[in-house]
Amino acid sequence: MSICDKTAIVGIANTEFSKNSGRSELQLAAEATRDALADAGLKPSDVDGMTTFTMDNTDEIELARAVGIGDLRFYSRVPHGGGAATGLIHQAVMAVASGMAECIVCYRSLNGRSGHRYSSGVSGPLLTADAIHWGWYTPYGLMTPASWVAMYSQRYMHLTEQCQEAMFEIAHVQREYAAKNPAALFYEQPFTLDDYENAKRIVSPLKLLDCCLESDGGSAVIITTAERAKDLKHKPVAIKGVGQAAAANMESMTSFYRPEIAAIPSMDIAAREAYQQSGLTPDDIDAAVIYDAFTPIVLWQLESWGFCESYKAPQFVLDGALRSDGRLPTNTHGGQLSEAYIHGVNGIVEAAKLVRGSSVNQPAKHIENVLVTSGVGVPTGGALLGSL
Amino acid sequence: MTPEERQAFEEELYTFVGRPLHPEPKRSYDAVNEAMIRHWAEVMGDKNPAYTNAEWAASSRRGELIAPPAMMYAWNQEGYAVAAEGRPSDGLSDLVAYFDQHGFTGSLGTNVDQEFFAEAKIGDALFEDAIIEEISEQKVTARGRGYFLQTLAKFTNQSGELIGTQRFRVFKFIPPEAPPKAAASGASEELEVPTRIHAPRGQDNGWWWDACDEGKVLIQRCKNCQTLRHPPRPMCGECQSTDWDSVQSTLDGEIFSFVEMHYPKFPGYKYPLIVAVISLAEGTRIISNVVGIDSQDVKIGMKVKGKVEQVDEKTMLPQFYPVEA
Amino acid sequence: MDYQTLKYADVSVGDKLAALDIDISSSLISCGALATRDFEPCHHVPKVAQDMGLPDVFMNILTSQALMARFVTDWSGPEAVMKALKVKLGAPNVPGMVMTVTGEVSEKDDDNRVVTVNVTGENNIWGMHMEGSVSVQLL
Ligand SMILES: [Zn+2]
Repeated sequence: MSICDKTAIVGIANTEFSKNSGRSELQLAAEATRDALADAGLKPSDVDGMTTFTMDNTDEIELARAVGIGDLRFYSRVPHGGGAATGLIHQAVMAVASGMAECIVCYRSLNGRSGHRYSSGVSGPLLTADAIHWGWYTPYGLMTPASWVAMYSQRYMHLTEQCQEAMFEIAHVQREYAAKNPAALFYEQPFTLDDYENAKRIVSPLKLLDCCLESDGGSAVIITTAERAKDLKHKPVAIKGVGQAAAANMESMTSFYRPEIAAIPSMDIAAREAYQQSGLTPDDIDAAVIYDAFTPIVLWQLESWGFCESYKAPQFVLDGALRSDGRLPTNTHGGQLSEAYIHGVNGIVEAAKLVRGSSVNQPAKHIENVLVTSGVGVPTGGALLGSL
Repeated sequence: MTPEERQAFEEELYTFVGRPLHPEPKRSYDAVNEAMIRHWAEVMGDKNPAYTNAEWAASSRRGELIAPPAMMYAWNQEGYAVAAEGRPSDGLSDLVAYFDQHGFTGSLGTNVDQEFFAEAKIGDALFEDAIIEEISEQKVTARGRGYFLQTLAKFTNQSGELIGTQRFRVFKFIPPEAPPKAAASGASEELEVPTRIHAPRGQDNGWWWDACDEGKVLIQRCKNCQTLRHPPRPMCGECQSTDWDSVQSTLDGEIFSFVEMHYPKFPGYKYPLIVAVISLAEGTRIISNVVGIDSQDVKIGMKVKGKVEQVDEKTMLPQFYPVEA
Repeated sequence: MDYQTLKYADVSVGDKLAALDIDISSSLISCGALATRDFEPCHHVPKVAQDMGLPDVFMNILTSQALMARFVTDWSGPEAVMKALKVKLGAPNVPGMVMTVTGEVSEKDDDNRVVTVNVTGENNIWGMHMEGSVSVQLL
């Protein structure tokens, strides 16, 4: 397997070079991208991936929105300053050659003379597209993860029935799992409906027990070839499919400008990708680890992954689906609500355990395939794991 | 202060412990009386009939009016002379002066603990017998380096019956630098009233906030294809043109979604705080506050009208009000 | 007017008191100081308070104590007998702020029918102004 001759550069562009561009780095990136696409004879909507430097100040999704690029299913950043330059090609080639994406913009823009000068070293504040983005919300007091998610939640509650009951069910089922998981921060600490209802309000409609923990800890997983996996200590956990996506018209946590916001279009795309790669369907998935920074986001992801119809997740959950004997035992470690919040990577560990058959709350039924997802509100993703 | 100086300072300092504040118990200037209680109850908004309703009190278990326990210390306070001439000297002011002379000019009341053993009645005279009960070892706190001192005051009535005790704890410290004058209570390190967090202004958004400062909410418009867009960005996603102008919003809108912020609370913001996604009549959306309405009355779909207001000393923002149906 | 006083048996640890918002005005601060015979100029002359580094006159301790006591006796009713009032002071209350007072029953002393209520007063600008407890003997 070699990448030789599998991919090609088809469009190129620079903006003019100057000592004072007179415009933002975002605009410079947008112009270069637009012109490179024109050079190639491609449209913004043909783009489905992006790579840039970790040092770049322009968010992929800000650039996508500016240029009119639609859904992204691949993005990657390379660290280490100028050392990243051909790293952009490295990432793009892997993505295109493997089919993860088809058309990738590799970009970098700098106001390196009129803005932050590298000769000034690591001093001074930076005015980034990201800082400007948050500026549309902070003056009004909307500035915590709970507040952004609450905004989508209110809308979802407005469009569904029994959402509040389902939020309790999610928090409660997961706490029951955690109460039996010695590694969980809430081991042996169940709660009641009274506890849930009387808990401190965080950002209405979210209360304390709708919110994940804040915890210290680390999680890691090792990935190698299927061939090598067969010779190692444990039953291999195969990656059947993995999707990553930023849907059109995206902002980081604040995509409030789409026609409807009570859904996660980025996760819809990631699900489509993962199902396509794996050949699996929702019926093939036996258990799940669904990113649970807040209870309502579990509901939306159940819809994205096709376990139920749009706006029907509350009923799916209230039928007992997430419980150990339910249709889709979910967050059997207690999740980030009740085990620990390690940014979803403790969830990948639990998903692998479910496939191995070694979860502390291993369901009685046979587990062949398990879904694990990333955080939502931001560009997101999900993976399907299963037996090799 | 060298170790030797500190030792000498502390040697004398701890001789203050046990000293009385007054040579003999200090008698309240007035007997407990209905006029001062009424004045107190009115200001504090305290409608407790045990303090001010003689008729109710007569039929209560007590059979008569009582003084509010929280007034205990008030009866013996120095009067207007404090404002006119300054605080008269007593055992405590000698200690405070000793601290001040050695640079411990900062002063911060930290705790007042009162215990009550009997209720003061109309006509009672209160006698305050106070001592310097305790001086801590030297401590370093966020305020600076210093000592906690605690006074203990006992209040008895004319029959010698113990009404209550009060322990008052004060931190005397060396202020960081450029010491402000000593604060009598609860002085804060925060010297500026906090305001809302502002958006940083750059090339893509500064013009919008500049207009907001002038009372206008603008919506960016593509000069090439006329598409409106918000929040502003440098290129039109429809036609990739970088030419744009703007239109002024009428701020007629409808609530698309909303939240109420409870925790954590941020300095500079007024609570209850409602933040909403508002669909404007022009077709774009804006995030803003909804004000002039109780949070339980806010509904998705509600019509609102915005105006740009000064929300604090440094901030102009659009704020949306419910439109009467 | 019919005044009710809580019965000891009807109160449980964990009971919450209805929160009270108090607008902190110049009048409340100055008149509260005078009503407690506190004639320190920093409570009625803005310039003096400003020289101390504060934006305006600030609330005196006796007013904070009074508001905390009132918050609990409003709940307990007039026959309750106050046994203790303990206040830890935080950031100052200055005009224009709103102080939200909240409380929760934290302790019951069966022998003396005394309940202790933990009380917090938070202002909307600087946060914790006072926290402490009020103990009252109930019927
Ligand atoms: Zn256009």
